[in-house]
Amino acid sequence: MITNRRTFIKVLAGAAAGTGARLDVAPALAQAAPVRIGVLAAKAGVTAPVGESGLRGTQFAVDRINAAGGIAGRKVEMVVEEESNPKDTVERFRKLALQTKADVITGGISTAVGLALGPVSEELKALWLAWDATTQKGVEETIPKPRYAFRSVDNEAEAVMASILTARQLKGKVKTVAGINNDYSYGRDNWAAFLAIMKKFGMNVTPVVELWPKLGETNFTSHVAALQQAKPDLVFSSFWSGDAPILMKQAHAAGLTQGTKFVLTTAGGVHESMKKAFTPEGAIMGYNSMYFEAPNASPLLREFSKWHQERFKEWPNYESDHAYFTVVAYKAAVEKASKAAGSKWPTTEQAVEALEGIEVDSLSGRRSYRSDHIMECSYFQGVTTHKNRHDFVTIDPVEVMSTKQIQKPSGTGLYDWINSWNV
Amino acid sequence: MLGGVFHAAVLFLVAAGLQLVFGVQKILNLACGSFYALGAYAGVSAVSFTLAAGAPPAVFPAVLVGAGLALALVGPVVERLLRTIYDRDESFQLLLTFALVLMFEDVIRFVWGSAPHQLGNVYLVYGQLRVGGLVIPVYNLVVIAAAGVIAALMGGMLTRTRFGRIVRATAENRRMAEALGVDVSRVYVRVFTLGVALGTVGGALVIPATAAVNEMGIDLIVEAFAVVVIGGLGSMRGAVAGALIVGIMRAVAVATYPEVEMLAIYVVVIAVLVLRPAGLFAKAAA
Repeated sequence: MITNRRTFIKVLAGAAAGTGARLDVAPALAQAAPVRIGVLAAKAGVTAPVGESGLRGTQFAVDRINAAGGIAGRKVEMVVEEESNPKDTVERFRKLALQTKADVITGGISTAVGLALGPVSEELKALWLAWDATTQKGVEETIPKPRYAFRSVDNEAEAVMASILTARQLKGKVKTVAGINNDYSYGRDNWAAFLAIMKKFGMNVTPVVELWPKLGETNFTSHVAALQQAKPDLVFSSFWSGDAPILMKQAHAAGLTQGTKFVLTTAGGVHESMKKAFTPEGAIMGYNSMYFEAPNASPLLREFSKWHQERFKEWPNYESDHAYFTVVAYKAAVEKASKAAGSKWPTTEQAVEALEGIEVDSLSGRRSYRSDHIMECSYFQGVTTHKNRHDFVTIDPVEVMSTKQIQKPSGTGLYDWINSWNV
Repeated sequence: MLGGVFHAAVLFLVAAGLQLVFGVQKILNLACGSFYALGAYAGVSAVSFTLAAGAPPAVFPAVLVGAGLALALVGPVVERLLRTIYDRDESFQLLLTFALVLMFEDVIRFVWGSAPHQLGNVYLVYGQLRVGGLVIPVYNLVVIAAAGVIAALMGGMLTRTRFGRIVRATAENRRMAEALGVDVSRVYVRVFTLGVALGTVGGALVIPATAAVNEMGIDLIVEAFAVVVIGGLGSMRGAVAGALIVGIMRAVAVATYPEVEMLAIYVVVIAVLVLRPAGLFAKAAA
């Protein structure tokens, strides 16, 4: 019982000594404690399905890793926080890094969030493996040479691939083009890349209308009317969320899909919503880094697709692959660094060094991190078809391009790189 | 232009709910957008259920209106909550109704999940109308007509029925109405439920043409307030005029100079605030 001030101080001192003793053994205990993976996943709004998809990929990776004995013998534990606006997400990132003491933090879809998380990751020296959210501003300005942040593929890569396919398939067949893209850096950068590549390939196309609905818009009747009025031969859109099927539904109802070609760089991200009833055959459509029905799908992708379909009654989309990759890349890096350090758990710095250049099997095939902390993988796009067992469109033939072909090399500006092509 | 009228039709229903509730109860109800989103989700569920039961497309509009009306049953519950702030400062109204917006977002996430919901090809089964070189989806006309009928019914109800007279009397002078024997509490419950129904029916009706997304109501709240500022707070005719102005302004901006799509609306809002601060139809009764 604490009877006076002196006794109280003695008790406090004893407690402090006890804490000290526990701290002394902490590194030893840490070897047996689970590895904590902090996950930032969007759960609301237009990014919610993508966040959910990333979460599923992470869960699949963690389950497999734990079933096989964990990372360097330690079980893996997920601590999930929500990705929302940049300010709140930065606070949750800090919480994961400082309070939860996550060994690694994965996630991030929104460009604005990605731009905010990069500098915080560097400041806290907290390892962050982004799923997405890598625009030119992040690559070239805000986090040009990150140490602790590992970024996704340049967001424009899908526009670059879709533009190359457009040039290959439609040269001489289209004279006028229209763009309908979200009014933020991703949408604007994609449209600019498309026009630059059209010029590079000598397509001689004239942009007749450029439309910039805000992200989250759910009514495109006015935009469709503007497209009808402009009568373009081709409509280019980088919509990637619930807005892609709404646009196609309203465009089809207004007769716009008859005679007008569509290029949908990223609609594969919501592929189950792209119903045959309103999505025409013959459109160029992209699936980003993973196509669930890839003709040469690996046993791993087949296993994941089956797991996903059985559990969620849906076919998976690409964000699962980005998320899966971040977890297995971290595992491979830690085990590589641990081996080099004589079976000791590596420091964050050692894990960072091991991650640079690491190459692993992901759901979509081999994937890696470049030394400038940007992902390399393959992209899947093709021409939409109704000839399948689903009520939504798929692609046939499937074109596969490596990001080595469609992503600018380290240290180069996007447009300098495009202009340097020999076509 | 017709795209603008379609948007105006939906906007009118949400703004009319906002107008009615403010006109009578003096409550600035930010949750009007949430009722719109709730109606949209309920519409998806109801039509999906009807489709599974093998019902013909002709019944879908009725099913959607029915789903919207059924969901208006949340009205009396929410009104009960709002009673605590009738006599308090407006900031309490804004705080409470904004809290409701956030709570309804979570309710939607809990019941329907976070992924957008849509109704495959229900939008397309009504076909298209060709006028000159223009192709118009018939369903857009159904929504515009439904909004027109609802506006007419609202107008008729407010001016020609006993309940309408009581509502207008309560809006004009609550204490006098009470003194004359009007059960104001009951009027408030009915008016609020009617306001909710306008939002939920609006959300349900629009859903075949779009997809139900959790935040779909948030943007509409902002636009509904623009409608209210332009039309005049508490005026039903103002809601019609304001919705048409906002809807058509957006459509014209998109067709001519897309960069100013949102700016165009707020230029009108500022002009109204400067030249006619009480709105175009400020003096009209609720």
